[in-house]
Amino acid sequence: MGRQIPEDLVDFLEGGVSILVGTRDADHRPETTRAVGAEVSKDRSRLTVLLCEHTAGRAVPNLEDNGRIAVAFSRPIDNFAVQLKGRVVELRRGQDADRRVAERYYAIYGDQLYMVGMPRSLTKRIRVWPSFVVTFEVDDIFVQTPGPGAGKRLEAS
Amino acid sequence: MKLSELPRRCFQGVIPAMFATVDAEGIPNVTYLSQVFYVDESRVALSCQFFNKTKKNVLVNPNGCLQVLDPVTLDAYRIEIRYDHAETEGRLFESMSARIDAIASHTGMSGIFKLISADVYDVVSVEPVAILEPADPEQVLDDPPGYRSEVTGLQLVCQRTCRAKGLEELLSTLLETLEEAFGFEHSMVLLTDESGARLYAIASRGYGAAEVGAEVGLGEGLIGTVARERCVIRVAGVGAELRYGRAIRASVHRTSGGRTLAPEIPLPGLVDAQSQLALPMVVGDRLLGVIAVESRTAAAFEEWHEAYLEIIASQAALAIENLLGKERESEPEPSAEQLAPPPSPIATADKKLRLRFFPNDDCVFAGDEYLVRNVPGKILWRLLRAYATSGRTEFTNRELRLDASLGLPPVRDNLESRLVLLRKRLAQKCPELALVPTGRGHFRLEIGCPIELTEQNSG
Repeated sequence: MGRQIPEDLVDFLEGGVSILVGTRDADHRPETTRAVGAEVSKDRSRLTVLLCEHTAGRAVPNLEDNGRIAVAFSRPIDNFAVQLKGRVVELRRGQDADRRVAERYYAIYGDQLYMVGMPRSLTKRIRVWPSFVVTFEVDDIFVQTPGPGAGKRLEAS
Repeated sequence: MKLSELPRRCFQGVIPAMFATVDAEGIPNVTYLSQVFYVDESRVALSCQFFNKTKKNVLVNPNGCLQVLDPVTLDAYRIEIRYDHAETEGRLFESMSARIDAIASHTGMSGIFKLISADVYDVVSVEPVAILEPADPEQVLDDPPGYRSEVTGLQLVCQRTCRAKGLEELLSTLLETLEEAFGFEHSMVLLTDESGARLYAIASRGYGAAEVGAEVGLGEGLIGTVARERCVIRVAGVGAELRYGRAIRASVHRTSGGRTLAPEIPLPGLVDAQSQLALPMVVGDRLLGVIAVESRTAAAFEEWHEAYLEIIASQAALAIENLLGKERESEPEPSAEQLAPPPSPIATADKKLRLRFFPNDDCVFAGDEYLVRNVPGKILWRLLRAYATSGRTEFTNRELRLDASLGLPPVRDNLESRLVLLRKRLAQKCPELALVPTGRGHFRLEIGCPIELTEQNSG
């Protein structure tokens, strides 16, 4: 049974915050990588994330193996963070049309890194393309803002 | 590759690490970690502050996958680890705990962010992750040739501190040389007070006209924690919410009588500090004080800085101890020249300076402004009263030492450092009064205008 993403979370998820992805292999060994963009489906039941081909060498085979995915979003300024978990329904190579998601993400994320002191000469080298496009159905959403309340299920709003 | 090949700055928490685990049902979990501690070349430790999903997962499936970033180059490293055990005491636990306590104390979160355990993991594999395009070779500027100036810097600090003739000279030379030799532009020295429960700032550099005399309790903030634990703490990449909250520091002032007691002098510090390093100065089993440096650059202090500063802190501690001891042993009679009459009062003479003493907390006010308290306050008041009753202006350290009412510890007192503090406070806040050294163990009270002394209880 899926879970709908609350409307007030959509801007946050698509807003260029930092995105971590967790997967695992057939032996239940985890893997972590970064996503380079996210988009919520119109009916808010699915989330699409982009995984850069250069860094997703383990995540993609893992997802092909079992489809289990966890994606954490975190906003540096106040540490507001959520984690969405689910099962992959589509995994494909990115098309030109997907590239705008990666580029939009890169523009905002690069700015954020710059604001916390990362030089442009470094942030402009962050790889975002070519990417895989991973869409999953959301099973659960958890609050992950650091503190005693971290890990609680996000209540429906 | 090996864990030891990674730059240590990857383990300073400048950029949070990523950590993935898997639960019993095979559902992955991914989270940020504020810091990964490097234990040795085959182990890392993660702090467990809450019994969270990550901890639950590794107890059923010990496999974990970390990614750390080099905060300078943005190079990423994937580290496969396996949970081994949790430690709730011992050196590793204490060092992680002191760090968390210091940060918690900074943010008013003492007791909330508390280390439950230091979770130790074995490293299975380490490999680089290509998150960046290769650098444009034309833009790559190699580091300047590795001229190792550190040893020269150390030599400079040692030489100069050894040659200092008095405490004030020693401390100012020390901070000056730290800047010259190591580039530490913002530094301060705090010494332990008579009670051993508080530290007071006695010298600072790089904070403009920062005031001396600021106090910190043992266990309070980064500096207080370093003093209590007697260990070095290095904080790199202080997050926005963890930065010195001096601007919003809750000032709990006691109100009593007709006077609001607000003698808290703010601790010198950068509001936007990104890196901090504080080291205890210990001789034998005694804590003499703390040296603290900070910077606006994230990860400004590296492991070698810590090592070098530890040598310097030890050197400084011995030099301070030595100077104070020497001063006590030999207090020769002053020469006739030193006993020359004080210069005539300066032209502010028509203005009368009102000085008030509050015996409740040994606090001295000049006009309406807080001047000094505790032992330096009592010393100043004693000198002023002697002047008011007998016109005396020449005093000796020995007579202060023998005066039990001042509350100096009988052995190993810190009179000299208290006089340095008092001199500096007077120069900053009440230039009409001055304590001028006239020889080892002798000084003169100079008063530039008529004074009026009042003693009052504040409540």
